[in-house]
Amino acid sequence: MWGRQSYRLGDMDFEANAKDGIAIDWPVRYKEIAPWYEYVETFAGISGQAENLPQLPDSKFLPPMDLNCVEKELKKSMMDKFGRMLTIGRVAHVTGPLGHNQSPQRGSCQYRNLCSRGCPYGGYFSSNACTLPSGERSGNMTLRANSIVYELIYDEQKGKATGVKVLDSETGETVEYYAKVIFLCASTMGSAFIMLNSVSNRFPNGFGNDSGELGHNIMDHHLGVGAGGQMEGFEDQYFYGRRANGVYIPRFRNIGKDKRDYLRGFGYQGGGSRQSWSSLVAEMSIGADLKSAATTPGAWSIGLGGFGEILPDHSNQVTINRDLKDKYGLPTLLFDTEFKDNDYKMRIDMANDAAEMLEAAGAKNVQSYDRKSQHGIGLGIHEMGTARMGKDPKTSVLNKYNQVHACKNVFVTDGSFMTSAACVNPSLTYMAFTARAADYAVNELKKR
Amino acid sequence: MNQLIDRREALRKTALLMGAAVSASALTGILQGCKATPELTYTPVFFNADQATLVSEVADIIIPRTDTPGAKDAGVPGFIDTMLKDCYAKEDQDNFLAGLASFDEEAKTAYGDSFIYCKPEQQLEFVTKVHASALTEAKANREAKRPFILMAKELTLLGFFTSEPGATQVLQYVAVPGSYKGCIPLAEAGNGKTWAT
Repeated sequence: MWGRQSYRLGDMDFEANAKDGIAIDWPVRYKEIAPWYEYVETFAGISGQAENLPQLPDSKFLPPMDLNCVEKELKKSMMDKFGRMLTIGRVAHVTGPLGHNQSPQRGSCQYRNLCSRGCPYGGYFSSNACTLPSGERSGNMTLRANSIVYELIYDEQKGKATGVKVLDSETGETVEYYAKVIFLCASTMGSAFIMLNSVSNRFPNGFGNDSGELGHNIMDHHLGVGAGGQMEGFEDQYFYGRRANGVYIPRFRNIGKDKRDYLRGFGYQGGGSRQSWSSLVAEMSIGADLKSAATTPGAWSIGLGGFGEILPDHSNQVTINRDLKDKYGLPTLLFDTEFKDNDYKMRIDMANDAAEMLEAAGAKNVQSYDRKSQHGIGLGIHEMGTARMGKDPKTSVLNKYNQVHACKNVFVTDGSFMTSAACVNPSLTYMAFTARAADYAVNELKKR
Repeated sequence: MNQLIDRREALRKTALLMGAAVSASALTGILQGCKATPELTYTPVFFNADQATLVSEVADIIIPRTDTPGAKDAGVPGFIDTMLKDCYAKEDQDNFLAGLASFDEEAKTAYGDSFIYCKPEQQLEFVTKVHASALTEAKANREAKRPFILMAKELTLLGFFTSEPGATQVLQYVAVPGSYKGCIPLAEAGNGKTWAT
């Protein structure tokens, strides 16, 4: 299951590499991608509150979910004391009429918080609930299950990719599929693997890898750092329903006059909750007293966890390991990544700022944390950057339309195209760029 | 989720400290007695009959039947048995059984008989005392090994409050809320009891 948190990148993000002199510039600016954000948001349905923040552009929103009482308290305190915004999480759940009739199979979120089982109502956006049914209705879709694409077929004479090789994970048979245009959207590491595994006379170091950047510049969001505490009072207030969403605190560091000893910034995700029976394990009561205690909702707690931007760095890389094969006999990927100084410096703020804001809101027993066990790239499961886009084929793998510079009939539209990571959950951005790339490919085909 | 992971980590640490597993035959030998065995309400797949009976009685002391169902009514003993068999690693299983044996040894020292043959008031007194001292110790030393009584309590609460009787009669539960109201008076949140989930 994906986390469903959906945020736009903004001008600040697309301009960041150029301004900071980091890696390479994005070949795209916000105004170019904004209509495509709106396009995918309309189709998927994104619930959220418009806040008109320059660092976090608003989406086209379905109605926002409520904040609970302690979250409202934190929001007010943060704005009064720090001038910082707290907003409800922007999440791909249907909270009102979708405004289009492309997904008649979908219903609205029922607030069961059982998303991890796959929603029987199509209450949140997913391939299963939304795009695959649309694809099927088009009559143009063939879905081939158990298919591991492991190689692109390159025709040296034509100078194009002509198809892909597929390994059936159940039967072990290999099949070739041919196409005029190929979209790799196999996940960041999946697409990196396919490209690194596709060698030819033209591309001896991996498909489209003239720049030598394929597999490099791996980014993620660093997390496992923040703070939590208890909120006193509010005993006579509660909530109804199970909100599969939390709160979001947009980036506030290195914005405007704020200057830190690191680049970029972080956002927080978190929320308030009220303790239930599990807290009674550590309480003295047993027997009838315990049962009685369990019926009364426990103390309110509130927590914030940071999501920090990781800079693109050539040394954070993945390579193909032909000596170690997986159970299908395919080569494996070898990772060589680490946090850098910028990440460690940022984490100090991520812990301290969370604690400071919680304490200012009146939280008690506030404890900040920086979990050493989460000091690693990939643990944020937002891996990006292995086939970055850029203006110059010498320093990037893809052009601004997600098209392989050196082989124009191959598009790569998962997180591998990301030139920088921003600090927000990236899926919405992949969706917007994918839609834009598909539109571009269709228009190019029509020109022929 | 974090609590479950934390519990697993705690159990793992405990298992390392505890060492070898108890011999089941030894335990059975100790438990040979002439008094009537309390009725076992299910067929265990992990515990032997005496272990199952002990866990069952402890669970029902932690969550007894009152005006609402108790642990036995809710099938908690069978839940604990299945959890240990299907969801616990070998070392965690061994740790639980070793803790159970120590618990029973202490009962014998205190009352001259295995826990399951003690009188109900002795069982209640013993569980209350062991539980209180275990919590005091756990608070004083967070790294200390997790005693049987707290492992049993944790599993009892998990089993009971996620059971239909626990979730719907002691707590309150709505399968399909249909909406979310973030900040409302407690009295207007269903029947005002804690949400089961």
